[in-house]
Amino acid sequence: MKIPLDKILKTIVIILASFGTIMIYSASSIWAEYKFGNEYKFFFSQVIFLAVGIAIMTILSKIDYRIYSKHANKILLICLTLLILVLIPGIGTVRNGSRSWFGIGGLGIQPSELSKIGLIIFTAKYLSKNEKDMRSIKLGILPIMGIIILFFGLIMLEPDFGTGMVITLTLVVMIFISESKISFFIGCGIVGLLGIVALIIVAPYRMARIISFINPWVDPLGSGFQIIQSLYAIGPGGLLGMGFMKSRQKYFYLPEPQTDFIFSIISEEFGFLGVLLVSISFFSIFYTSLKIFFKTKDLFGKYLVFGLSFGIILQAILNLAVVVGLVPVTGVTLPFLSYGGSSLLVSMASIGIILSVSKHQ
Amino acid sequence: MFKNKINTRVRFVFLIVSLIFLLVIFKVFYIEVIQYDKLSKLASSLWSRNLPITADRGNIYDRNGKIIATNITTTSLVFIPNQITDKEAVARDISKILDVDYEDILAHASKKTSIERVHPEGRQLSYEIAEKINSLNYDGVYLVKESKRHYPYGNVLSHTLGYVGIDNQGLSGLELNYDKYLTGVDGAIKYFSDGKGHRLNLEEVYMAPQSGMNLTLTIDLDLQLAVEKELDNVIDMYDPEDALILAMDPKTGEVLAMANRPDFDPNHYQDYSIETINRNLAIWKTYEPGSTFKIVTVAASLEENEVNLFEDNYYDSGSIQVENARIKCWKKGGHGAQTFLNVVENSCNPGFVILGQKLGTERLFNYVNKFGFGTKTGIDLNGEGSGILFTLDRMGPVETATTAFGQGISVTPIQQVRAVSAAVNGGELLKPYIVKTVSEPETNATITENTKTVISNVISEQTSSMVRYALESVVANGSGRNAYIENYRVGGKTGTAQKVENGVYLQGNYIVSFIGFMPADDPEIVVYVAINNPKGITQYGGTVSAPIAKNVLTAAIEILDIEPDLEGMEKEYRWYEDSYVKLPDVTGMEKKDAIKLLKDFKVEYSGSGEVVLFMSPEPGYYVKKGGTVKLMLKD
Repeated sequence: MKIPLDKILKTIVIILASFGTIMIYSASSIWAEYKFGNEYKFFFSQVIFLAVGIAIMTILSKIDYRIYSKHANKILLICLTLLILVLIPGIGTVRNGSRSWFGIGGLGIQPSELSKIGLIIFTAKYLSKNEKDMRSIKLGILPIMGIIILFFGLIMLEPDFGTGMVITLTLVVMIFISESKISFFIGCGIVGLLGIVALIIVAPYRMARIISFINPWVDPLGSGFQIIQSLYAIGPGGLLGMGFMKSRQKYFYLPEPQTDFIFSIISEEFGFLGVLLVSISFFSIFYTSLKIFFKTKDLFGKYLVFGLSFGIILQAILNLAVVVGLVPVTGVTLPFLSYGGSSLLVSMASIGIILSVSKHQ
Repeated sequence: MFKNKINTRVRFVFLIVSLIFLLVIFKVFYIEVIQYDKLSKLASSLWSRNLPITADRGNIYDRNGKIIATNITTTSLVFIPNQITDKEAVARDISKILDVDYEDILAHASKKTSIERVHPEGRQLSYEIAEKINSLNYDGVYLVKESKRHYPYGNVLSHTLGYVGIDNQGLSGLELNYDKYLTGVDGAIKYFSDGKGHRLNLEEVYMAPQSGMNLTLTIDLDLQLAVEKELDNVIDMYDPEDALILAMDPKTGEVLAMANRPDFDPNHYQDYSIETINRNLAIWKTYEPGSTFKIVTVAASLEENEVNLFEDNYYDSGSIQVENARIKCWKKGGHGAQTFLNVVENSCNPGFVILGQKLGTERLFNYVNKFGFGTKTGIDLNGEGSGILFTLDRMGPVETATTAFGQGISVTPIQQVRAVSAAVNGGELLKPYIVKTVSEPETNATITENTKTVISNVISEQTSSMVRYALESVVANGSGRNAYIENYRVGGKTGTAQKVENGVYLQGNYIVSFIGFMPADDPEIVVYVAINNPKGITQYGGTVSAPIAKNVLTAAIEILDIEPDLEGMEKEYRWYEDSYVKLPDVTGMEKKDAIKLLKDFKVEYSGSGEVVLFMSPEPGYYVKKGGTVKLMLKD
């Protein structure tokens, strides 16, 4: 008997997200106890997010995805409004140097995370409706690129470079798999490189991040600090890790270990074996999603599945690459594992839509 | 067709994603497996705080295993500032107990560091103070054991031993020269802390300190103590500017004793001037040797067959003309007709000028170099001087003449001792040394050792035996008479060296010296005594230094177990001296006959009877006239 793809996908996601919630307890308890006097502070929140997330995933998997195609423009407009509103002081809240949040009580909503889904839906619709025009740069590519650049620009105003990059790259890869010409992407690559250089010139702290990536020991207390602390967590983990709850780096060495650098703590406590299992999980999510992609006949559904799953996998890869020191610190969370409501809910929603596509063929 | 294209591109994206995943996994593997040791070590040093436990320095023993430098345990105060909650209270209470400034302690307690030694206020605390601090029970305030260097004999051998700083680091003498061996590896109590420095509830790790290596010296502590006592007497009697005694085994180069005045107590070296504590005069001081240097001239002349001590004669009129200089003998009116043996005995300067002239500038200069002057001996101590010689091209007839009797050049005491050792030991120029072995403290395994090192052969054994004879004669009949020890054979030479100040010789201010050795036919010890400007006495080496050398040699008889020898030269007594008479053999004689033969002595009896069974001292010994002779009688 063959197990249905959506069941496999759902199971992996729930296991991974549950494991993430447990790891958030291990990673955050010390920090939570110190800051809030409650070691379960982050853990309890994440349990709630997880429950809500599973609910959203289940509900979205039941709703026919074609409805998004109808409302794609409205959804995009809402996202645009929210992205503009969040930039206004008093409405948007500053966290970690970015004005990227709406604070509602103890919770927060990140419009940039929502825009990710909104834009993927819009792009999927655009690509499926204009499949003939995609050969032409002027008719097909430029209009959608204009929208992408607008959103990227808004997100960069917060600024949230990590999310902006994940969104832009995801959409560009979506365009790449369409009928478009390869030569355009080569050009894009060159423009992108120039863009990165320009961004570095605008905000020199990005250069410091790059330097700290090349040799974190140049400035161990400054730009290299996070990477070094991350390596100090991963390295001593060894093959089998120090054991659950036995991380040393979470004792105030690695700052906020429950967020971007949760993978370091997983490596420290579960070693290479844990890393392998987490990587295989992400890989399986992508692989299963692509299987759904190949099964899907409807073009909009195809683009949707690819865009949503690639968005998740891209973010995961980017986070892992940062944590292990392969690319500079960009500040993206690890889907399903890092602490944070918006991140988890958006990831779960993405999977929900993928499941819906799988179901509604 | 279109579907194919999109599927192909998705497969391509999938491939790229897979590759990146592999890259990430490979990088994690690299970090966790390849870099594991390096990162673990770095991380471990980040996580743990070490409360240091200082290691014991190695002990220093004399040649017979007696301890001359060891360690005592003291207590030191250490703060872990992050753990101190009430810094003001800690600073207030501890500054009160230590009786130091409140601000200083507050500064230590507030320092942004993981671990702060309260230095110097909190170092090497007494038991009472440590107890008081301990009873306060403050968090983040620790008392750790600290090993402190201790020299049980105080001033004894101070310059040679040197001293250590507050962190147990060798700063001078053997402590400096053998620092890498003596220094142990500090241990620690290692405990784990979080990123803010607070102690974590994890088990402490105790890392035992490792003691340093032990040194065994060539020094004989008993002889050293005798030497120190003699120097104390010298200071009491003559109040000199400085004084030194150096004793060496001429057969091996082992330094047996070495002491200087002024000296210091290495336990409290801070109380002395830097010159006092850092100048080991016996190896550092350079000055004109004076007549002790004549030994080199005699040895060179004998080796080169330029003189026959018994047959060649010289008439000393009291002075000799060398070019424009008139060189006078120390004795007004001169010594008159002498053999060259008399010249040596009398330390007659014009006679030595003749010897120098016979050798010629080049050969004399050559021998001065061969005997090791002008270069460091290489003894295993720091701060050695090398002395100053004329360069060959600047040696004219006058310089040659003065060098021959020990003026115009500058040498160190250790150079003189080494040169004289070579002259009397059969011609071997040795490298002196003071550390015999370096050994591991637990197993006692020898790590490294110094042994006899012959640098070169300077003269033949035949020449050497002639030199010994001449120098024994100096003690028996000549200027070294005051070093004569009855029933033992002593050789030696006096010296009265002039001191130069601002380019002119000082008047009535000399370094008076004596270099002696024993037994004269087969020397086991060479002793050099030099006293700088002794007060209240005629400044001659023979009158001031020879008796001191005699005392040291007398002490050495018992310490080195030197056998009496009755074959030596008989001392030629002067009217003012106690005379010694050779004991006739009276064993087996009738009591009345024995008394007749022993008329010069006081006789005591033991036992009863009429026949002498034993006598003490034994026949052949020299006993002072009027001295006691014990006879054991039998029927």
